[in-house]
Amino acid sequence: MTSSASATGPTRSTIGAAARGSDRAHTVDSMNESGGFTVIEAIRNGQPFKPAVHESLAQESPIVSVRDFSLYYSDVKALFNIDMGVPRGKVTALIGPSGCGKSTLLRSINRLNDLIAGVRVEGDIFIDENPVYAPNVDVIELRKRMGMVFQKSNPFPMSIFENVVYALRIDGERRRGVLEEACEKALRGAAIWDEVKDRLSESGLSLSGGQQQRLCIARAIAADPEVLLMDEPCSALDPIATLRIEELIGEISQKYTVLIVTHNMQQAARVSDYTAFMYLGRLVEYGRTSDIFQTPTLPETEQYVTGRFG
Amino acid sequence: MVWLTGLSLVVAMSMIIGLLAIVFLNGVVTFWPRQLDLVEMTGGDSLLGVAVREEAYSASPGKRIEIESRVASGELPADVMTEDGRLVRRLYMVGNKEVLPQPFRWVDIADIASIEHPVDATLYERMAWGAWIGKPEAVLLVQQKRVPVQGEGEGPALEGTTQTRWGERRFERDQLEFAPDEDGTVLVRERVFAAEGTGEARRLFNELHPEAAKRRAVIEHIKKHDIGRVNLGLEQARLRQREAELRRDDIIVRERARLDRALEAHERGRLSEARLAAARERFDRRRAELDAAVEAAQAERERTDALLDAEYKEILVEIATIEEYDDQYRVLIRDVTTGNFAPLAQTRPDEPLRISQVVRAITGNDLTFGQRVGVYFSRWWEFVSEDPREANTEGGVFPVIFGTVMMTILLSIAVVPLGVIAALYLREYAKQGAVTSVVRIAVNNLAGVPSIVYGVFGLGFFCYTVGRYIDAGPTNPWSPGMWFIGLGGTVVVVVGAILSQMFSKPVPGKALKLRHKLLGWSTFALWFGSVALVVTLVATTPFFKGFFRAGLPTATFGTKGILWSSLTLALLTLPVVIVATEEAISAVPRSLREASFGCGASKWQTIRRIVLPRAAPGIMTGMILAMARGAGEVAPLMLVGAVKLAPELPFEPHFPFFHLERSFMHLGFHIYDLGFQSPDSEAARPFVWTTTLLLILIVALLNLTAIAFRARLRRRFVSGAF
Repeated sequence: MTSSASATGPTRSTIGAAARGSDRAHTVDSMNESGGFTVIEAIRNGQPFKPAVHESLAQESPIVSVRDFSLYYSDVKALFNIDMGVPRGKVTALIGPSGCGKSTLLRSINRLNDLIAGVRVEGDIFIDENPVYAPNVDVIELRKRMGMVFQKSNPFPMSIFENVVYALRIDGERRRGVLEEACEKALRGAAIWDEVKDRLSESGLSLSGGQQQRLCIARAIAADPEVLLMDEPCSALDPIATLRIEELIGEISQKYTVLIVTHNMQQAARVSDYTAFMYLGRLVEYGRTSDIFQTPTLPETEQYVTGRFG
Repeated sequence: MVWLTGLSLVVAMSMIIGLLAIVFLNGVVTFWPRQLDLVEMTGGDSLLGVAVREEAYSASPGKRIEIESRVASGELPADVMTEDGRLVRRLYMVGNKEVLPQPFRWVDIADIASIEHPVDATLYERMAWGAWIGKPEAVLLVQQKRVPVQGEGEGPALEGTTQTRWGERRFERDQLEFAPDEDGTVLVRERVFAAEGTGEARRLFNELHPEAAKRRAVIEHIKKHDIGRVNLGLEQARLRQREAELRRDDIIVRERARLDRALEAHERGRLSEARLAAARERFDRRRAELDAAVEAAQAERERTDALLDAEYKEILVEIATIEEYDDQYRVLIRDVTTGNFAPLAQTRPDEPLRISQVVRAITGNDLTFGQRVGVYFSRWWEFVSEDPREANTEGGVFPVIFGTVMMTILLSIAVVPLGVIAALYLREYAKQGAVTSVVRIAVNNLAGVPSIVYGVFGLGFFCYTVGRYIDAGPTNPWSPGMWFIGLGGTVVVVVGAILSQMFSKPVPGKALKLRHKLLGWSTFALWFGSVALVVTLVATTPFFKGFFRAGLPTATFGTKGILWSSLTLALLTLPVVIVATEEAISAVPRSLREASFGCGASKWQTIRRIVLPRAAPGIMTGMILAMARGAGEVAPLMLVGAVKLAPELPFEPHFPFFHLERSFMHLGFHIYDLGFQSPDSEAARPFVWTTTLLLILIVALLNLTAIAFRARLRRRFVSGAF
């Protein structure tokens, strides 16, 4: 991937969408006579509207920039002209009701949607100004720059050690010392080292659910990715395991940029620095987590985060 | 409903268990040494034999009425008849084929006056002519020697005693010469009674038998290996000479065509007289060279033949020496019915049996339980480790076991990679749609094609087409010019296919255009054409003359063989493997693939590191099913490889080890052969059971091995799941 494609990329200092959205202007007045939900009305009626992107984002430098990105599953449009930047070194949460396209957006970033037949995209996504959807992109290389953690823990049917070093192995790394070092580092990073250090040769499937998920996180960070994509990483876990993962996300965010999809409003409030609210394939509001949860611009967002709709 | 389902399970289970139990019981009891009955019949007749089985039959009315009245008068016990008035008869194995009209004899229970179990009755299993049941009378030392005559005009002593290593023993002599030579001796045939009486004879027989058996084994080994080696050498020398002749013919044809072209050119005036002469000279020179080469090969062959002939004669002398020694030791066993003794051969009723002709002597009536167990296992060991004798009704089935196992292994080696790769393409790479569905349905239907159809296909395609090609090269080769044009065309098509494939790949995330669809179809068509062209090119190459044409018209690969059998059965079991593998692959969770792709793995890396290991137990299941099906299949093998008696194993302990072109023996076919093709069905009957038992055991063993292996894989890959 070359940076020569940056001619079409966003400017470095600001997040493109944020810059344009900074006047908080809305095409449709957000509080109209129908009792409040003008944006949702607009979405439902297919009218254009401008998402409320807070000014605070303008101060951040984006690592992932989504630009006018739309995605179709065959004929069904699943994402509508998304414009957003993911701030470098921060935790960004994607929230929204089921089927709003959070996971689709997340999977578009590392092109995991390529595996589904009939997926078609318009617009582009940039990682550090490198386009993701240019024809000459090496998808394998692209995916190596990102780690991904899934909804349900999915360790490979192999030993804990092999699970963690999988990304290095497929890169052709054979030196035992390098692998062991990377394994320990990743397991420490995922706060599971002390629990598994004596049984690295056991199957990854012999761990408990929470441990498995942390193992998956270790696997995702083993190759030192730039961005960590997490797709509802706690939804299959009990509260105590969830707590541990959430603590872990806090620790990880000091080193990596994290983009997390969650259904759990409290979780978004606890772990993330920024939150994006999506609805029916559109970005609705995007800003600092504290702002989104306490002083959202749009009534819809307030209604959603307080659990009154969605 | 629960009753219905339960009932059908019970019916199914009882049928399977019943079948297995019948095979097991009959197979297990076959080799148990049974008592020898001396049966005296009311008619004054008698027999010595082993009771095989009893049955009720409808006798003639006259006999029936007579026996009914004797039963009614209490003269006969009631159990000589069944309640519905049929007579009960018993089958005795009496052996002694040379002197008795039938080796098996039915006896009416009503006719039996008495049954005794004489301790001196013995059953001798012989190398040829089946069992001999009788009473051992003597062990003899027979030899021809020159002895002095007793006086002028008199013969030698024809009876007397002599000192032997067992002490003073009686002898008898037959005079073979009547005119004594100058030192006063004549040639006689002397029989020394080294042991007389049943007990003595048995004891000495047991003492001498191991040595005799060893001599027999040595002779067999020499006949099989040394003479085999000589014959192989002769055959190879013949083939080398034939090869030289064929090569000469090939080159002469080419040279003559060249000369003809030169002649033609000369006639048209385009070639000078001098150059024509040069061409003539070249032709003559080449022919002379080739003739010399053929002559050299011929001379070489004659030299080899002479050497091998000398060796052959030496071997014959060696055999004769051992046989001459072996010929001395005889045993006299008398048949109780006819009073004849067991002969050396059917044509030599005057000469008693050699000790070395006996495989095993079983003194059926005074064996202890331990000895019976010993005989039982020694018979089983012989069964699994020896070659068959007497039209497969005696001896062992070692080559049969070997052939079955080897064929099954070859079959799995052929079918598993092919099936797995095909299933991988179908499930992982092919675009799911109408075409893949049709392929899938076709594959499933292949499993339903009668196996004999595969046999016919295997014979026609593998043996007669591929095999003949390997033997003799293409039947209708193209001319070299034509062939190279074809080669060029093929290269063009292959390059076209590659290009078309490159451009038919759609960019992920972009809409599929009509161009991609068209290119996709053209890729398919071009690859198909490439394969067809390559096959045509291989089948018509003028540069390949076959690997074994010197041996023609005797086909090497162009006939039945273990390789073709394995490939035919691989084809037969391919659907099983494809279906099982496809299911195993599709059962690999999507989340695992996504995680692998998410780590930056390519498709092939994901398949190799995640999908295949995870699917391995399922693939093993497919292999187990294929092996079970393949090992038990008989019908196609009758056409493509299994034979009644294969003189050589398809494996030899010296280079080149595997002889995949050889036909082989197979347990399934062996069962059919014993049961329905045997000249002596009664004698073959016990072997049908034991062979069936063995086949079931071997299939079970192969399966258990595979299952154990699969269980290990499963433990490794799927432990401690949620």
